[in-house]
Amino acid sequence: MRRALVVGAGIAGIQVALDIANSGYEVVLVERLPSIGGHMAQLSETFPTLDCSQCILTPRTVEVGHHPNIKLMTYSEVISVESVDGESGKLGHREAGEQVTNLPIYQSTNLPEFRVRIRRKAAYVDWNLCTGCGACQEKCPTKVISEFERGMGQRKAIYVVSPQAVPNKPVIDAEHCLYLTSKQGNSTTGVALHPADIEAGRVSAVGKPRRPRCGLCARVCPTGAIAFDQEDALFEERVNAIVLATGYDLLSPTRLPEYGGGRLPDVIDGLAFERLLSASGPTAGKIRRPSDGAEPKEVVFVQCSGSRDPERGVPYCSKICCMYTAKHAMLYKHHVPDGHAYVFYIDVRAGGKGYEEFVNRAAEEAGVVYLRGKVSKIVPQDGRLVVWGADTLSGQRVEIAADLVVLATAVLPAAGSERLAAMLGLASDGSGFYVPANAEIRPVESHVPGVFLAGAGLGPRDIPETVAQASGAAAKVLKLFAAARREGDEESEGNTEVME
Amino acid sequence: MSKIGVFICHCGHNIAGTVDVEAVAEALRRVPGVALATTYKYCCSEPGQKLIRDSIQEQGLDGVVVAACSPAMHETTFRRAVASAGLNPYLCECANIRELCSWVHQGDPEQATAKAIAIVQTIVEKVKRDEPLEMLKLPITRRALVIGGGIAGLQTALDIADAGYPVLLVERSQRLGGKMAELSGTYLNFEAASDLLAQKIEAVTHHPRIEVLTEAEVVEVSGYVGNFNVRVGRLGTDKLVNWEGQAPSTNLPMYQSTELAVGAIVVATGYDRYPLSALPEYGAGQIADVIDTLAFEGMLATGGEIRRPSDGKVPREVVFVQCAGSRDPEHGVPYCSKICCMVVAKQATMYARRVAGGQAYVFYMDIRSAGRGYEEYVDEAMQKHGVLYVRGKVSRLFPADSKVMVWGVDTLSGRPIEVAADLVVLATPMVPSAGTAELAQRLRAATDADGFFAEAHPKLRPVESLTAGIYLAGAAQGPKDIPEAIAQASGAAAKVLSLFSHEEMTQDPLVAYVIEELCSACGTCVEVCPYQARSIHPVRNVAIVNAALCQNCGACVVACPNKASQVFNWKPEQFLAMVDAIF
Repeated sequence: MRRALVVGAGIAGIQVALDIANSGYEVVLVERLPSIGGHMAQLSETFPTLDCSQCILTPRTVEVGHHPNIKLMTYSEVISVESVDGESGKLGHREAGEQVTNLPIYQSTNLPEFRVRIRRKAAYVDWNLCTGCGACQEKCPTKVISEFERGMGQRKAIYVVSPQAVPNKPVIDAEHCLYLTSKQGNSTTGVALHPADIEAGRVSAVGKPRRPRCGLCARVCPTGAIAFDQEDALFEERVNAIVLATGYDLLSPTRLPEYGGGRLPDVIDGLAFERLLSASGPTAGKIRRPSDGAEPKEVVFVQCSGSRDPERGVPYCSKICCMYTAKHAMLYKHHVPDGHAYVFYIDVRAGGKGYEEFVNRAAEEAGVVYLRGKVSKIVPQDGRLVVWGADTLSGQRVEIAADLVVLATAVLPAAGSERLAAMLGLASDGSGFYVPANAEIRPVESHVPGVFLAGAGLGPRDIPETVAQASGAAAKVLKLFAAARREGDEESEGNTEVME
Repeated sequence: MSKIGVFICHCGHNIAGTVDVEAVAEALRRVPGVALATTYKYCCSEPGQKLIRDSIQEQGLDGVVVAACSPAMHETTFRRAVASAGLNPYLCECANIRELCSWVHQGDPEQATAKAIAIVQTIVEKVKRDEPLEMLKLPITRRALVIGGGIAGLQTALDIADAGYPVLLVERSQRLGGKMAELSGTYLNFEAASDLLAQKIEAVTHHPRIEVLTEAEVVEVSGYVGNFNVRVGRLGTDKLVNWEGQAPSTNLPMYQSTELAVGAIVVATGYDRYPLSALPEYGAGQIADVIDTLAFEGMLATGGEIRRPSDGKVPREVVFVQCAGSRDPEHGVPYCSKICCMVVAKQATMYARRVAGGQAYVFYMDIRSAGRGYEEYVDEAMQKHGVLYVRGKVSRLFPADSKVMVWGVDTLSGRPIEVAADLVVLATPMVPSAGTAELAQRLRAATDADGFFAEAHPKLRPVESLTAGIYLAGAAQGPKDIPEAIAQASGAAAKVLSLFSHEEMTQDPLVAYVIEELCSACGTCVEVCPYQARSIHPVRNVAIVNAALCQNCGACVVACPNKASQVFNWKPEQFLAMVDAIF
């Protein structure tokens, strides 16, 4: 049986997995978070059609969840990869950062084989017993700031990432769960210590104040699925191809001191604004600013916040911001018709089907004010934010008193992608994105035989480009598997004797 | 007497929070033919499905109703569960008491409960009259047709053929390579474009599973996904030849006939450049030293000195005009052609490298250099190669002495600019290649407002057309650069490989059928069918259904004056029984 490993279950990984699985091969799909969908699950509507993101994504996530050929491993991470065949046997021993540029391109029809170790993090919930009824989340007394809501909403210590999560099974956040933290305080063996917490130095086995145990979730669970003694589990999978679809993160506003350095509550990033627009978001789709819950009447959108800025941010263009900012400003005007939206830009980059027309609609129909220039500083003043910028077309300085500022922050490779690259001996560029075998004509192949690339791990890109390219990576896997299958067929037809 | 099992889902609080699910179960137990009515917290969960499976086996149920969410959500889930318990999956139906009931009547639990009971009762009556159906199986011809021999078509053909399937590549011109063959170099790989392309062409022409037909065109397409029939003719003559103009090779006798069966079609017909003659303010093609970027590529590609067309002099001042017709709904095309910013940056850089002391100017509206290394590339053109970028449009070009006068504006300083140029290069829009509209019609594939082939979904199905079995690669779908075209071409190949990975296609058997004794062959159904699934059988003289094309819309059922057209498991007696159940 030929099998592929897909790392990352955002829209890129989902598409790769479905294309391979629908062709009759097995796929192991590994996702770091408890549920799949990636950043696309956080989006409200998508440009340029304003389709609801969840509505078009959910059929795909559900299909992955049910697919007989997909082995879905969420809340899991790849911890090591070794090549089992002779040809690329040095894989496991490559040093991080070693440049791999001139490896021979894979020619043989021999199938590569990789031994992959995967760590599944302890969820403290037995997912085989859990029915996803949600009673535990209702009763859990501990509220935690939600990462999915970009810090603007709350979740419980036992939680599913989003209402439409696939799989719809909760995990317990050991760092905040009253039971687990008090257990750690009492523990001498450290059984329940979360490895990530130990690494980060957040917990230690001694000196922790003893808090009362809680365990409410275990009491209300109708199927007895809560498993406080669950530990991380290690799995080993053998696969014949690997596709990295690890996606992106956004530059943290803390790296932009001139824009408040993350200390101004009403200066948020693009993903946060998506959550404000989202009907399932923290404000149920109403535009409310984080500081005081007021409806912002003046909103400033700052493009290239860290992008195209070699000195302070990243040198490259993040590609998606022009379009999502146009969408944000347009949707803001739909929500708050008497509000004002301003967009600061360097160049408007609307290259794609219907994109140019979409930006024109934002400016002309929705009445969004586009200002060509950079914002130099954002300062708080009397409960508002004063945005200092320039309009390079009139050559004048511009000052806007805003209620909310949305930064289109730079797209970065997802945390951990450099570690994966080093593990597999892949080249990555100065910014940490994977480098394909040839940027022009081999855009989805890596330098390493049997390893392919898809999605924003290769650099910023939007959903259609990601999806087309993910199918492209799937084609390379299918081609590899099919070639090996033919070779195998020929062997079974009597050529096996020739082996020496 | 039927033995129907009814499973009412709480869906957490989604349904049970409004609808009294126990009351629904109680009411259903009194319905004749219902052997079991029970509730469960989440029927779609594994324990919920197990409950359904176990009940079928223990109680010998002959029909199942799951009263839960919309069938669009979980019909497949429940039918699969029912099938695994040995019951025909088409004897399982979903009664939608969430979207159609609990969600819209949250303030009125009593009415919502009554409505839920009524909904479930109707579906029980339907299931009682459902027939067991088998999946339809259709054969697949595992051979692909690729239309267009540019870089996108080459890549798709290679990916499909390397995976083991035969490919017919049809190219209209005399040679393979398309527009890429006219380029001097790609953006990042200045010199290597021709080598990279030559490798691909070499691989395609020598591939044992790829047959190339040049100077040929697809003249007719019929059939449907998995089973298309195409007729390929040599341009003008309708006579078939292989790519070298020789007699068709003997190992592929199919090409002797004009008809060829293929299972999938990939459209990779690329783009054309907007004609200079359509740009009157830029000389309408009448000024010798005003050329488009592809013509400039030709000059660069020779590797020799750059000389302008009019008098063969080396141009000292070259003006590049971006968006010469793009982003201009009034005079040109409304969309952005996407590649021009990078093409111009490359050309200006190459010019600066080749002509010492030469000055390149670029007029632009926005610089769109989004892609790996692109931003840096444009910066280098400006800073290292001294290309002067001017933000503004050019209003007019006209000849003056031996020069071309360029009137433009610098929107950053707000001042008009005048350059006396030796050569002007226009980045004209990418438009669909000639004949796209006719081909789209032959393929029954949709095009968008700009004339490019339309993808099935702008976000999630970028390489599929709206017609099953027809896929899109490269600039035929819209402007894109080489890496994007290649990635997308491989994507189209993946869809073909997925289709070909099965020996036969299975299709839902919920399609129209004809009660032949009632049919008078009036042809009304043939006229109303939007999917060309209906025809009159030439011998038996009755209406027939092509199940592969039927989308179960029911238009024929409504139109048929004799009630001879029906849809499986949506028969008139079922509708009547459903209505009777609640009135």
